[in-house]
Formats: sequence, structure tokens, C-alpha cells
Amino acid sequence: MKRRSFLSTALALSTAMVGAPAFAQDLEEVSLRLKWLPQAQFVGFYMAKAKGYYEDEGLDLTINPGGPNLLTENLVATGADTFGLSGGTDSVFAAIEKGLPITCIGIAHQETPFVFVSKADGPVQEIADFKDASITTWFTGANYVLFGMLAANDLDRSSMNIQPQQVSVTPFVDGQVDVVTATRYNEYYSLMTRVGEENLKRFVPEDYGVSFPRDTLIVGNEFAAEHPELVQGFMRATVKGWLDTFADKEAAIDLIMQEAPTLERPHQEFMLDEIEKIMLAGAAAEQGLFTIDMDAVESAHQILVDYDVLGGPIDLAAAFDSQYVDAIPSAERLPE
Amino acid sequence: MTVQANMAGAQPMARRFGAVLPLLKGLVAIAAVLLAVELLVIAFGIRPYVLPRPSAVIEAVLRTPGAYRDAMIRTGLETLMGFGAGALFGIWIGVAFSRLRFLRETIFPIFIVSQTIPVIAFGALVVMWFGNTILAKAVIVFYLTFFPVTVNCLLGMRAVDQKQVQLLRSFGASDREIMRKLRFPTALPHIFVALRIASALGLAGAVVGEWFGDTTGLGVLLLQGMYAENMVAIWASILCSAVLGIAFFGAIGLAEKRIVFWGGESS
Amino acid sequence: MTYDPMSPSQHALARGVFGGLALFAIWELAARLFDLPSYILPAVSEIIARFWTARAVLGEAAAYTLGEALAGYLLGGAIGVALALAVTLVPQLRKVIVPAATAVNSVPVVAFSPLILLWFGMGVSSKIVMVAVAVSFTMFVSALAGFDRVDERSVNLMRSFGASRAAILWKLRLPTALPLILSGMRLSTVRSLIVAIVTEMLGAYGGLGWVIYQAVIVIDFVQVWAAIFVASIASLGFFAVVSFLERRLVFWR
Repeated sequence: MKRRSFLSTALALSTAMVGAPAFAQDLEEVSLRLKWLPQAQFVGFYMAKAKGYYEDEGLDLTINPGGPNLLTENLVATGADTFGLSGGTDSVFAAIEKGLPITCIGIAHQETPFVFVSKADGPVQEIADFKDASITTWFTGANYVLFGMLAANDLDRSSMNIQPQQVSVTPFVDGQVDVVTATRYNEYYSLMTRVGEENLKRFVPEDYGVSFPRDTLIVGNEFAAEHPELVQGFMRATVKGWLDTFADKEAAIDLIMQEAPTLERPHQEFMLDEIEKIMLAGAAAEQGLFTIDMDAVESAHQILVDYDVLGGPIDLAAAFDSQYVDAIPSAERLPE
Repeated sequence: MTVQANMAGAQPMARRFGAVLPLLKGLVAIAAVLLAVELLVIAFGIRPYVLPRPSAVIEAVLRTPGAYRDAMIRTGLETLMGFGAGALFGIWIGVAFSRLRFLRETIFPIFIVSQTIPVIAFGALVVMWFGNTILAKAVIVFYLTFFPVTVNCLLGMRAVDQKQVQLLRSFGASDREIMRKLRFPTALPHIFVALRIASALGLAGAVVGEWFGDTTGLGVLLLQGMYAENMVAIWASILCSAVLGIAFFGAIGLAEKRIVFWGGESS
Repeated sequence: MTYDPMSPSQHALARGVFGGLALFAIWELAARLFDLPSYILPAVSEIIARFWTARAVLGEAAAYTLGEALAGYLLGGAIGVALALAVTLVPQLRKVIVPAATAVNSVPVVAFSPLILLWFGMGVSSKIVMVAVAVSFTMFVSALAGFDRVDERSVNLMRSFGASRAAILWKLRLPTALPLILSGMRLSTVRSLIVAIVTEMLGAYGGLGWVIYQAVIVIDFVQVWAAIFVASIASLGFFAVVSFLERRLVFWR
């Protein structure tokens, strides 16, 4: 990879120096930083790359995985990466507030990708039961969704025992905790395999008037200003990759298992099914993949302003730019 | 008498298990321990979330041997690159420090402070400066390994008997010859102790380095296992790290036996 | 008369301070001249200003982390010395314990972190266990080296005068080994703090690692650097205290 990039740079330089016309296959080297390690959650990007869709758009794309303590917005803002699949609307707001030169050009997860889970035979049967419960959640954004849900249902959270959630769902399985937070594609799978789905009860934020779209596609402002056509091309290729993924999930899982062979295949299959639902939910059901639903964005924004996570409202119109995704007709962004 | 004192003791111990035979014995012992754990897990019905059966772990490795092999090669390569650079730089700067007092007194404290900084906090900076290449991981390994080598090289250089130096000088030996014939050989056992410490640190550095967005490596496998709560995968990665770590440790021990054949400072 | 880089003279100390200040000056200049945004490199002055404005948060976090590091450090030290003692008093154990300890030590400590977090949870105990694991091997090696220095002829001599095992241990073995045990303890200080912070970054309820993790999420890089400076100062302070104790305890050397 390294050598190839060096060679292509050298080639580009030498052609530039002798003034020869560029090669027909002159690809722009770009990279996409994911929010986490390869798994079915991101397989659409790998699919688009494997099928050569990025190359068709003139992009030589490298997919860089994320990791703990790596912030996608940060790497895109500094130019270390060209594109990013970042945390979500919450991390985009934070980045814009701190003045990072990035823009969100599409939203993958149309609804909140996590739910709150209790045991079917446990003390928490409805949202009102949260008031005496011991609850764990991630204090990295999910807590505000919970606060928003509680506030929307006139529940006083000071009476509850809300604790930061650990990496493991074991305390919930063992009955030390009444309500646990789970992503629909990851922790929920662990819970299903360990407790059994019939013994679980889900509380979906959307049912309680709160929505928190996540997994946002971002691009650096400088790159977007200089190469709008490449950003457009990236968007087109990405959408095609995801549609192919949903059209042949078996092949998509093969691809991701090739990328990360130690993953558990059944888990990845479950994950892809859930990801499909989340990506085609809400506004995307009509308008297609990566739709930026400003109503949902505004509702998430409002929660974070209300809880003083943001110092004040930010300029949403500047932070979210629908032009690239809107340029692709909805029909081409929806599965057949 | 500080780091040095510590080394003086580590020395005979190191020599004892640098050889191949003890390593083999160690492997047999490990096999025995694994068997014992297997029986215990079965006998007490320990849940796999607490402790999986060793056989399940080994089975997991054998199910996707390519993935674990690639991870070990990648992590091993990162460690080797950074470790090699760190060892050479450490020796070089140790020699320089032993000669140039101003340099030593000005730079050394900065080195010490640099070692108090947790690298993991700088994931983004490492990616920004060195990209997503194997080089970035090697730099982290380098950062963790050069320091102990520097310290021990410096101490080894200074452990030289001044009377011997004067004797050689009276025979007309140049500084260069004194370095080659006396100082460096005296420092070598100290340096090897540091290399052994650095090999474990370096491996840890490579694993952490892979948390900054990478596709292969033992660090990646560990993270994946952790967030999927897949105990078997975590143990499989630990097992592979152990194999790598023991191999590095053994290789340094062997090299030491070959190079410091005269038996080091205690003789 | 060996030079000891870890306990420098007054003169060397002054040079060291000079080196540090020079580094800070270059840093400050670079950040200001190139007008670097804080997500690349914040100016030193900004970081130091943050010490003051965030002193409550940083102070509390530092105390939390230091507490974890200290507990794990003492636990690991005790385990290391106890094992070394066991090996010394029952020589048959040596063949088992030394290779086992070496094998465990050759696995990078961070590799155990997912496991220990899952076993001991996100609270203080997982950090203490991690630090103890990291520290115990260094302590074991140092202490064993110390006990090995005891001259067996002296042991036999004391025994011939009818000294009990306990007396030999207390009057001969421990004093002989003490300098090495203490130097091992000093070497482990910095490591114990780093291991505590790294583990906190993977999951915790508080501490400097947690502050760093939180600050990265809200993109507050001045806070990240401030926390790292605090961690560095805490490490050096811990180191200095143990060095001081060492000099007090082994005054006869």
C-alpha cells in the first residue's frame, strides 16, 4: 500500500514535470476512517470498494478502521483522512461547536441505534417503572437519550440509580442491574444469546419521542470545496455498495468475514439484518439511504442544548449539507 | 547503585533461562497448566464467560489459523522494527551521553519525563503524524524501548573500572580502542538486561499501537474480542501474545549467551 | 561513585530544568507561530491555564488515579516480594515459579486488560489488579536478586549459633535484599500510574484516564493535554517520594 502510494506520487510528479497528459486511470487517493473495527456495520463500504465503485468514480479509497480514543472528526479535520463515518449527530455537533472544519454529508443510522433493555419477568415493565430501577448506560451520549426519554415522560431522574455502563452486559444478566443499554446490533445480540430474546423487554427511544440518528458520513471542508465532484462520486459509490450489500447479504457477510476472520458469523448476520432496518428506517424509507432528516437532527440537537452538553445552538444548516445525497434520486437510493 | 543494582541480580537469573532447554521445559509446564485448567473448568462447571476451556481457545485459533498467524506476524514485525531501532538508538545515545555531559544533563530529564506519558492518549496524534502505517506502530515501540536501553547503556559505560582505562591509555590506546575493547564489552551485559525488559514493553507498545485504527494484529483481535464479549477470542489473542513474548525473550537470551560468552559483570 | 541518572545532583537538576524550559519555549513558539489549532497541538500556556480553570476536576481525577495506582503498587509489591521469599525459603519452588512468572510477564500487560475489565468490572478494582500484575514481576525479579545476594555461609553461621529461621530472615536476609527491593519499587512507580491510566481509558468511573477519554469525545484537546501533564507530574512526584524513602531506609549504603 505504502509503496504503491509512493510510486503513484512519484509517477504523478514525473508526469507533471514533463507536462505529459495524466493517465486515463489517474485516481485520487482518499481514505475513509470508520468509527470502529471492521464488522458488518460497515460492510457496505467494503462492498463498494470490492466492486470497484470507488475506482469508477476516480477514487483510490483506503478504508481505515477506528479504535478506542480515536475521534473520526479529529482525523478528518486535520486531513489525516478524507472521509469519515463518525460517531453520530452528537459528535458532529461537538466538532462544529469546537470549530473543526468538517461537514456531515449523510446519515447512515436513521434512528437511535441503541435501546434500553429490561428483563421480561423483572421489575421494569414500562417506562414508569424506571423510577425505582437501577440503570446503566454509556455516559458518552446515550445518557442524554435516556434523560430525554425520561423527561418526555415526566419522570424525575434524580430518584433513579443511573450508573455508567461497563464493557460487559454481565451485571444485567446476573440481575445486579434492572435496565441496560444495548446497541441493537451488538450488545443486544449478546443479551439474546445469553438470556434469550423472549426474556427481554426493549424500550426504543423513538417510541418515547426521542430520536438520535448516528453513524454520520463526514468530509473535510477544504477537500469538499476543492473537489465537490469527488465527494459526489464517493457518495454515489457508497450508496451503490450498500444497495448491493442488502441485495446479497450472504456475499456481504463473506466479505466481512474475509476482512476480519475471527468474528462470529451468526453475530455478523444478525448485525447486518439490524443495520439494514436502521439504515432504511424513518425518512430513509421514502427518500433512500443516507438521507439527512433535519427534523431528527434538530430533535437530537435540542436534547443536547437542553442538557447543556452544547454551550448553545449551533448552525445546523452549515454543519449538515444534503446536496451530495440529494443529487442522487431517491429511487437510486432505495432497494428494488 | 540503582538501576544497576537491580540488574546485577537480574543477571544470573536471565542467564539461567536464556538457554533452549529451560524453554522446552517451560513449554511442557505450560501444557501441564493448560491441561489442569481444562480439568478444573470441566470439574467445577465454570461458565465460559468467566473462563473458557483451554481446548476451546486452541480450537478457536485452529479454526481461523490464518487470522491469528497474520496477526502474530504483523505484531511481531512491528515489535521487531521498533525494538531494533530503539535498541540501536538507545545504545548510540547512551554512548553519546556517557561522553557529553552537557547533552546528558540537558536531554536526559526530558527522556525521563517522556516515559511518564501514556502513549494511548495520543492515538490521534500518532495517526496524524505517522499515518496508518506499520511505521506508526514501530514508532510507539521505539518510544517504549529506547529508554531502558539508554539508561543501562549509560550505566554500563560508567561501570568501567577507571584503573583499567588508565592502564590501557598508558599503553597508548585511543579513545576508540578503549570503547571497543573495554567500555562496550563491560556495558554489554547491562544492555542485554535492558533489552529483555524492553522486549516485553515493546510488544505491549505494538498491541496498543494497533488500537489506533488498524486492520490486523493481536491488538485488533483483543479489541474485537473485548467489545463482542467473546472470551474465547480474548484468550486466543492472549495465547498468541504469550507465544510471541516468550519467543522474543528467548531469542534475546540466546543472543546474550552467544555474545556475552564471558558471563557478564559478575565474573 | 557511579553516576545515577535517577537522582541527579543540583547542577544536573538545573540543566534538566533548563532543558525542560527550552522544550516548552520551542513548543509554545511552534504553536503560536504556525497558529496550530488545539486539535493538533495546543500552546503550553493554554494547557497551564487549564490547570487552574479545571483544577477541581483534574485534582480529583489525579487523586482517584493515584489511589488506584498506589493500591495496585503495594499489592503487586507484596505479591512480588512474597513470591521471591517463598522461592528463597523453599528452593524447590524456584523451578516452578520462576518460569511461570517469566511466561506471564512475557505477555504484555495490556493484553490482560479486556479480561480483567470483564472479570473485575469498570470500578477501581480492575485498575488495582492491572497495576498489581504489571508491578509484581519487576518486584519479584528485584527481590529475588536481593535475596540471592545473601551469603549462604553467613546463614549457616547464624544457624550454628542457634538463630531461628525467622531471625535469619529478619536480621540477615531482609536487610541484605532491601536495597534491591527498594530500587525495584522505585522502578515500578511510573509504570503503575501509566497502567492505571491506560485501563481507565478502556472503561472507568473516574480518574485521569477517564478525563482524557471524556475530553476526546467532546473534542477538548486542551483538557487532554492538561490531564497528561497532571499524570506526568503525578508520576514524577510518586517517583520522588519513593526515591526519598529509599534513601532514608538504606542510609547505611
